[in-house]
Amino acid sequence: MISRRLAVSLLSLVFLVTIVFFMIHATPGGPAYSILGMHASPQAVAALNRQMGLNQPLSVQYAIWWAHLFEGRLGYSYIQHIAVSRLLGTYTRRTLLLDLCALALAVLSALLVGMVQGYYADRALGKIIGFAQILFYALPVFFIGILLIYIFSIRLNWLPPGGIGHHGGMSQMRHLILPAVTLALPIGAGLSRYFGHQARQEYRLDYVRTARARGFSDLYVAYRHVLRNAVRPFITMVGMMIPALFVGGVLTESVFNYPGLGWLLWRSALDQDYPTLSAITLLIGILTIAGNLAADVLNSILDVRVRYE
Amino acid sequence: MASGAAIFVILLLFSWAGPFLHTASPYAIHPHLLFQEPSWQHLLGTDDLGRGMLARMMYGGRPSLGVAMIGSVIATLLGLCYGMVAGLSPSLVDKSLMRILDAILALPTLVLMIFFAAIIPLDPISLILLLGLVSWPGLARIVRNEVLAYKGRDYILAAKQYGASTWYLARTHLLRSMFPIVIVNATFTVADLILTLAGLSFLGLGIQPPQPSWGGLLGNGSNLAITGSWWLILFPGIAIFLAIMSMNMIGQGLLNRLEGR
Repeated sequence: MISRRLAVSLLSLVFLVTIVFFMIHATPGGPAYSILGMHASPQAVAALNRQMGLNQPLSVQYAIWWAHLFEGRLGYSYIQHIAVSRLLGTYTRRTLLLDLCALALAVLSALLVGMVQGYYADRALGKIIGFAQILFYALPVFFIGILLIYIFSIRLNWLPPGGIGHHGGMSQMRHLILPAVTLALPIGAGLSRYFGHQARQEYRLDYVRTARARGFSDLYVAYRHVLRNAVRPFITMVGMMIPALFVGGVLTESVFNYPGLGWLLWRSALDQDYPTLSAITLLIGILTIAGNLAADVLNSILDVRVRYE
Repeated sequence: MASGAAIFVILLLFSWAGPFLHTASPYAIHPHLLFQEPSWQHLLGTDDLGRGMLARMMYGGRPSLGVAMIGSVIATLLGLCYGMVAGLSPSLVDKSLMRILDAILALPTLVLMIFFAAIIPLDPISLILLLGLVSWPGLARIVRNEVLAYKGRDYILAAKQYGASTWYLARTHLLRSMFPIVIVNATFTVADLILTLAGLSFLGLGIQPPQPSWGGLLGNGSNLAITGSWWLILFPGIAIFLAIMSMNMIGQGLLNRLEGR
């Protein structure tokens, strides 16, 4: 199972690298024109093509592309005039910080909301929570983001509308709050709906009723019995949400001008900065493929049934 | 499901029939009418160039819904072909085609779309092709599993005994049997594509201004949020939300009926 899964991931990787290579070579006029501009002289284009190896057969260039990839040589940004590989470290760190904050927020709120929903399942509160979950799950993440900016930054002036602030300390924290909440809302809504359902199933079981009949407090029963038993399938669900986190992150970072990988992807797409664009597409692609692989492997370790499928 | 269908029909009417009732141009600039709040003269307010939001919302609905719907048709056809071929092929070919599909499904769709959008020309036709070409794999898997489920049924075996060709089986029996599940899936695909296209247009990588689209209008509104013009944000956002929500309601309703039969 795991070796087959690994082979599929490798195939994904080959597809990803090949798609990016051929699309970059299909850019209007080729890469040289993108660097020198549409009005470059033929001599200048020919010179640059020679210098960059673009005059060689496509198959040779494809091989070189792979070789460069393994060496971590990702080309130079047209816009920032710096090696792309030197850009990525900082941006990746910022993205990981945002994504981890959002994930923590989503998981904690999903556990809390799910427990409450499971307890009040058939009463008004449970229904209201269920409605809110569908609402937040269906609202586009960029719409949520702008609404939060409008309410909390522009009308109330409580939090900054975007950027990252000074490194470290309160300023950076304050800049993280809105994007993290935006990213966490749809993911938390999806997770809490799932966990709420699990908790509700658990609350219906005889042993929970017995525990309550024996006089244990609701909080004790909730923590000792319901939470512990409902949380196991929830963990694999969290793993499956990781690709959604990356994708939501791209839009969230763009809405809040939060300079992470997603923002850089967006800017380089708008500026047609192809080296940066292809490097980030590859990087996020590899992260997603690895995330999917990790979630599947985790799933097969936790659940024996999957392994024998 | 009925309420979902009603909402979607209203959105379609708003976009395609609305301009016959409200005849203002979505492109006409009025320098003396910038940032007008919603009022009886301008029902949905005006934008930073004095253009009426009502007209822009109406004309913006056309690409927002149309591109997604046609894209979904393309995706459905591609998914049908791939799934049928895989399901009807010998086991080894089927297995390899499925592994290839797994590999494609592991790629981050939105990131690839942004990547493609930076390279291809951004007119509605290219966007339809882009959305259609990227979003078929999910359906391909469903179709293939359906083919396998029906392949061993008696009526298929009987048809084979009578000498029916594989192409005849696929066209007549299999296609008819899986028609409902394909329609359900196409409905969900429309909802997905409306969201994706809105996201791309919001980022400036979808439908290009001055042509209005709901995602593009929302993007413009978010750039102008600092002016406090809530109507430039709220109306396009709600339209996108309603379109996605109604399509999902239709899909879910159809699915419930299908499973209940």
